[in-house]
Amino acid sequence: MSVPPGHLFALAALLFAIGLAGFFLRRNVIVVLMCIELMLNAANLTFLAASRMHTLENGGRPDLQGPIFAIFVIVVAAVEAAVGLALVIALYRNKQTVSLDDVADLKD
Amino acid sequence: MANLIFYVMAALVVVGALGVVVARNPMMSILSLLASFFALASIYLLAGFQTLAALQILVYAGAILVLFLFVIMLLNLADEKPLERIDMALFHERKTIWTLVVAGALLGIGAFTALELAPPAVAAGVQIPEHGIDDLQGLANAMFSRYLLSFEIISVLLLATAVAVVVLAKRNRGTPRLDQGGEST
Amino acid sequence: MPPSQAELAWMWWIPALPLLGSVLCGLLHFLTLRARGAWAPKAGGHGHDHGDSHGHAAAAAADHGDDDHGHDEHVAVDAGIGALAYPVAVLALLISFVLALAAVVQLGSLGEHTVSIEGPAWHWIDTGVFPIDISIVIDRLSAVMVLIVTGIGLLIHIYAGGYMKGDPGFAKFFAYLNLFVFAMLMLILSSSLLGLFVGWEGVGLCSYLLIGFWYDKGWPAEAGQKAFVMNRIGDACFLVGSFLLVHLFGTLDLSDIAGGVAAKLASAPGAQLELFFAGLCLFGGACGKSAQLPLFTWLPDAMAGPTPVSALIHAATMVTAGIYLVVRLNPLFAANPTLLFLIATVGALTAFVAGTTALVQRDIKKVLAYSTVSQLGYMFLALGTGAFSSAIFHLATHAFFKALLFLGAGSVIHGMHHEQDMHKMGNLRKYMPQTFLTFVVGAAALSGLPLFSGFFSKDEILGQVFAQGGGYYVLWTIGLVTAAMTAFYTWRMVALTFYGPERFDKTKLHPHESPILMTAPLLVLAALAILGGALSFPPVFESFVRVEYLHDWLAPVTAPGTQILEEQLGKHELAHSTEWILLGLGACVALAFAHRAFHRFKQGTASDLATFERSPLRARFLFEAWGIDAAYTKLVVQPVRVLALMIAAVVDGTLIDGFVNGAAQAALSGASRLRRMTSGSIASYGLWMGAVTALIAILLVWNR
Repeated sequence: MSVPPGHLFALAALLFAIGLAGFFLRRNVIVVLMCIELMLNAANLTFLAASRMHTLENGGRPDLQGPIFAIFVIVVAAVEAAVGLALVIALYRNKQTVSLDDVADLKD
Repeated sequence: MANLIFYVMAALVVVGALGVVVARNPMMSILSLLASFFALASIYLLAGFQTLAALQILVYAGAILVLFLFVIMLLNLADEKPLERIDMALFHERKTIWTLVVAGALLGIGAFTALELAPPAVAAGVQIPEHGIDDLQGLANAMFSRYLLSFEIISVLLLATAVAVVVLAKRNRGTPRLDQGGEST
Repeated sequence: MPPSQAELAWMWWIPALPLLGSVLCGLLHFLTLRARGAWAPKAGGHGHDHGDSHGHAAAAAADHGDDDHGHDEHVAVDAGIGALAYPVAVLALLISFVLALAAVVQLGSLGEHTVSIEGPAWHWIDTGVFPIDISIVIDRLSAVMVLIVTGIGLLIHIYAGGYMKGDPGFAKFFAYLNLFVFAMLMLILSSSLLGLFVGWEGVGLCSYLLIGFWYDKGWPAEAGQKAFVMNRIGDACFLVGSFLLVHLFGTLDLSDIAGGVAAKLASAPGAQLELFFAGLCLFGGACGKSAQLPLFTWLPDAMAGPTPVSALIHAATMVTAGIYLVVRLNPLFAANPTLLFLIATVGALTAFVAGTTALVQRDIKKVLAYSTVSQLGYMFLALGTGAFSSAIFHLATHAFFKALLFLGAGSVIHGMHHEQDMHKMGNLRKYMPQTFLTFVVGAAALSGLPLFSGFFSKDEILGQVFAQGGGYYVLWTIGLVTAAMTAFYTWRMVALTFYGPERFDKTKLHPHESPILMTAPLLVLAALAILGGALSFPPVFESFVRVEYLHDWLAPVTAPGTQILEEQLGKHELAHSTEWILLGLGACVALAFAHRAFHRFKQGTASDLATFERSPLRARFLFEAWGIDAAYTKLVVQPVRVLALMIAAVVDGTLIDGFVNGAAQAALSGASRLRRMTSGSIASYGLWMGAVTALIAILLVWNR
């Protein structure tokens, strides 16, 4: 594949922007968590694209920083999704809702 | 040929992502996300990251999304009426406009950087190593030597998460249990 | 051989002692209030004022509006520890007087060629262009003044102990009085124009404080304010004049300025005009302080203060400050004969207007007030003819007899339980013989009866005016007419007060002679009023007595000005025959009008009432000082009040308050708007973060 690395980065940016928009726009907490996952995937893609770029620049010597870090990101994403969903469950138990609009308790 | 597949997969990723944002039913969101993940995995593959592609499917699609699915099922959110609709009315909200502005700004700067500033296409003749950039051997070597500390830390993190999730999701029994008989202690 | 600076350091005690006395009296006043329990910092902070306020007298009729009806209810209050203020104050002045006497004697012993002895200087301000040092200078001019101020001040202090007895503010009074003497001494003895100005302002302040001493009655406070404000107008002129002097001479040292005028005239031809304006501005200041024509209306109102105040400040000392200023800087004024003529004209007109007003006054103090304005006019008339020492001579004799008259009037008022309307007096010579005798002496001096002090000083002035010739003949005529009026109103006053039927209820009012504390100073002043003429006998008496003693004494000070004047106008002197004629004329006029007035009013007030009936408008016009005061009220005071109200409403209310409140409002509304940011909505927080991140990203790329 000889796609220029810039296109990979651009795809990542697009993915991130969509995730960000969804993060702000959606009211359902679970969907918001999914948008977070989208953003994390965009980050992953960025890492991998950079790793590929460096690999090709170094004449084929694999740059492992990208994939390693991508692994870590995946782990963290899993962790975050787990904890977040546990919180959603607790929230649902207390307020019978998963809509963000109903949980603005920190409001002035 | 590979390039064409890439662009198709890229389009699929975007469509999937949009699906997550736009879908009314949370179930549809999950399914779009699934599609997006699959497309992303194939992109990883095309780019030469075999292990990561596998991990993406295994962990993301196989574990995380399943978790989401469980929760939605548990809370019975899937078969309810759509919780919210994305109407045109939503677009008149200040929040929507600002969101689009901010996201658009980030996208713009990101795309600009990516397309204008990134280095040009690969030099001809350079090849991706045969077993992929992240062949398992190399990955393992790196993980357990150079990145050992991080590895240990995230393993601790996983442990902590397990504990935390259990604690958070446990059914709350209300006030602390008194001993039977009601003697004050 | 002049003494060294160090040896003369004691001269600083002359002004310092009254200052010290003032502080001590103030302390005693505070202690009195504390003992009385009146020093409670209550709401409004006026606790201490209640202790020394009188009962509120009902508002009297308009005529009596500005009398010192101080003790209508005559609630005598024991002064307590405050009584110590009296000996403190008197002692301070006594020692000061003795020191002044010693200094003058020392000065005199130094012979004719030494002009001044100077105490050590205090380096006050270094402006970078020229230094301003304050030192005490006793030269021949300030010697005369300092003796007058401390001497007559001492007598009045002694008198005031008797007059102010029983007043709740006893100690406060002496504090103010001593402070005044201090300020006046600073004015007279300063070597620098700035030090003089400090004293100038100081006497203005003390005048305000003392006029409004019984401020809770209302009108004295207004009178004090009026005096202060009118003085202020003069002070503004004074300041402009001093700026011009700095511009011209680069220094504020009085002797330097006076000495530098001749050189300036010789070197720079355009200097004469600049000197004219400087002199004009300083004269404006003098008009305010010495109550000359445009700025005199405060002096009659100032009679609202206690009588000793009127005697000291408004007869003998403060009002003479203007004359002192002119004589001190006499070369400056002599440089422009036009300016001198202007001064003379103002003086003459003031004397005339004030004289006509005094003819129809009923309040005994008002007669004396307008008389003071009139006599001050005479002094300025003298200044305007270049006869500087004549002005000082009249200043001295006037101080003697006017203080005497005021103190005598105070004695009358005291004995009549604060009745001041002459129409309600009469035949008082039976009840107050000592007051009567001394008062008559003062009246004789004032009216210029021959051989009393006033005769010599007034006729010396008129002679000098006549000698100048030209336009001065008109002024001489005015002066002569005014002299006639002076004699008339003076003896009218005497007749109405001490002769004729008793126009008061003898069963209710028991007039009595004043205590010795009050009559003793009267006697001393009477002696001075009789003998004061010896200061400067007219030259025609050469064969009998030492003539023109004061003139010779002051010659070193007045010589520069006289010389400049002679260079410009030539020497004017009276032939002996002319002088005899003028002396005789003056004597005849004085005697004739005095006699006429005395006989007309000896029977009572019939003539006065007839005058008012015949032409009430004209009488009223004269009574109100030709309507000048009313004109001021209408043309100046009321527009200023309206302007002040407008400014208070617009500028203060709208602009300033609006600005301040607006700032507060802006802060409040901004804060409440910012507060809405903590909405609790994650989207909102996140959007802000996202926006800033985008901004940073753009900036990073931009500055790549």
